[in-house]
Amino acid sequence: MNKLTKMIVVLSVIGLVSGGILSLMYQWAEPKIKVNQIKANDAAVFQVVPGTVKYKQISDKDLTYFECYGQRGEKTGTAILCQGNGYQGVIKMMVGVNADFSKFTGMIVLEQVETPGLGAKIAEGAFTAQFKGLASKPPIEYVKSAKPSKLNQIEAITGATISSRAVVNIINKTVQQWQQAK
Amino acid sequence: MAASKVKRGYLTEYLKGLWDENPVFRQLLGMCPTLAVTTSTINGLSMGLATTFVLVCSSTIVSLIRKLIPDQVRIASFIVVIATFVTMADLFLKGIFPDISKALGPFVPLIVVNCIILGRAEVFASKNDPAKSFVDALGMGSGFVVALTVLGTIREIFGTGSLFGLVNFEPWVIMILPGGAFITLGLLIGLLNYLKEKTGQQQAAPACLPVDSQAEVN
Amino acid sequence: MDLLLIFISAAIVNNFVLSMFLGICPFLGVSNKLEKALSMGLATTFVMVLAAMVTWLINNLILVPFGLPFLQYVSFIIVIASLVQFVEMFIKKTSPALYRSLGIFLPLITTNCAILGLALLAALREYNFLQSVTFGLAAGVGFTLALCIMAGIREELDLAPVPEHFKGAPITLIIAGLLALAFMGFAGLISG
Repeated sequence: MNKLTKMIVVLSVIGLVSGGILSLMYQWAEPKIKVNQIKANDAAVFQVVPGTVKYKQISDKDLTYFECYGQRGEKTGTAILCQGNGYQGVIKMMVGVNADFSKFTGMIVLEQVETPGLGAKIAEGAFTAQFKGLASKPPIEYVKSAKPSKLNQIEAITGATISSRAVVNIINKTVQQWQQAK
Repeated sequence: MAASKVKRGYLTEYLKGLWDENPVFRQLLGMCPTLAVTTSTINGLSMGLATTFVLVCSSTIVSLIRKLIPDQVRIASFIVVIATFVTMADLFLKGIFPDISKALGPFVPLIVVNCIILGRAEVFASKNDPAKSFVDALGMGSGFVVALTVLGTIREIFGTGSLFGLVNFEPWVIMILPGGAFITLGLLIGLLNYLKEKTGQQQAAPACLPVDSQAEVN
Repeated sequence: MDLLLIFISAAIVNNFVLSMFLGICPFLGVSNKLEKALSMGLATTFVMVLAAMVTWLINNLILVPFGLPFLQYVSFIIVIASLVQFVEMFIKKTSPALYRSLGIFLPLITTNCAILGLALLAALREYNFLQSVTFGLAAGVGFTLALCIMAGIREELDLAPVPEHFKGAPITLIIAGLLALAFMGFAGLISG
């Protein structure tokens, strides 16, 4: 066997073995990964719209939202996927509104790359909890270093006003889009 | 006699990775994941373990097939072997530990280009028998785990301003920022250089370990 | 506008070296002389742009249509390794002097995680072809920028009284930390 043939044979064998092993491994892992993704989405939707047991995903151009239903099939609200640019990169959130769209029922941050220790606080409970029970009309406003005085206000994080403002803007914009779309 | 010598040989092969040839602190290899994922102890530890898994598997396989691979396609073959194990590790993490997989982000696939792994395959596994390569890889992997865990712990303690919940102080935000990663590692390596010199002068004994292992390698 | 955003984000705000920790090995290894840093940066940028194009084609024309996402890492790294080989041969032919000065670091571009990282991130963010190429170019420019700034500082550093145990890697890392902090100042740029 000359050198070139040997090289080609060895590389092809290694490639084939690697491909074979990986495709087996993938068949094992793929369903688990799918389940994990669904689980993560379930957890997010159930958390922002309390009382939900099942939901229906609706995708409309850039907009993705989930119509939520409770135990007896009654409508519990809608979970809306909100996405936009923050201070350092994309922020992705799930926001819940109640069935008659009078108030927000919850908000969690799914993905963010804001500055750790400052902007990243937007993902923490102390900030996200402010959205629970917030009036949904007029659009959300933020106040700096003061307690919110109106029903549609939240307090921005000290030292991370830009991140806080980005969150508010992204939510307002997406919710408005959703209202026009539905 | 021969048996005991072999045993010690394995032990020194293992130990050199922990300290004398520690991949991070002494050889400055695998810097990217070292700096990027060590924002907390658990991230550092899981990254270290994933890397060790890939390192041990690929070193062993490379050593097993070392005589079959023509010299010219050596590197290409090593890379394919490594990439295969990395994909396996990645699929495993995504399937079983989705949270850890998400925290480590693109740094799991980037284990492929971790210089430690290709370095060990090229320098050690392609010249030694599988058993020895296995031990060598395990040692290097452990050294990597230790380095990442130490760095992760230091950054977590200062960055969150809490010493395992016992003592609380104002968090040093810089420690979890990218800049903090560089600075902490720089200070740590400087400190270890200093310690190394101090202990090196006081006791000559540990110095014979690497010499011994060198002899065995050659 | 979209492309400009990708460019600024990858080159400056989320600089590959200083905020994403990609390509640290050459950053520490080749950053002692400005001239060397510049050639290394350019060679890497060249490979990055090519890699961004080729990996995009492979991912979108082969891997995705045939449902083979699990072969992504293996195929990407093979493409990158071959590209580096190609660039190495090219430089050896055209500029032997440059080839000698870059020495061992040329083949090391293969294990430069910035390049694989670039290919993976572009695939993950589902960039289109043009966006991928822009991303590749920007990453290269950012890498070159970081490398050159570092080399400039280190040339001056030769004259500074650095404590014995901090010479070499430790002081370089600490400076890199300060640079990373400085680059954070650009962070607000993309929120516009």
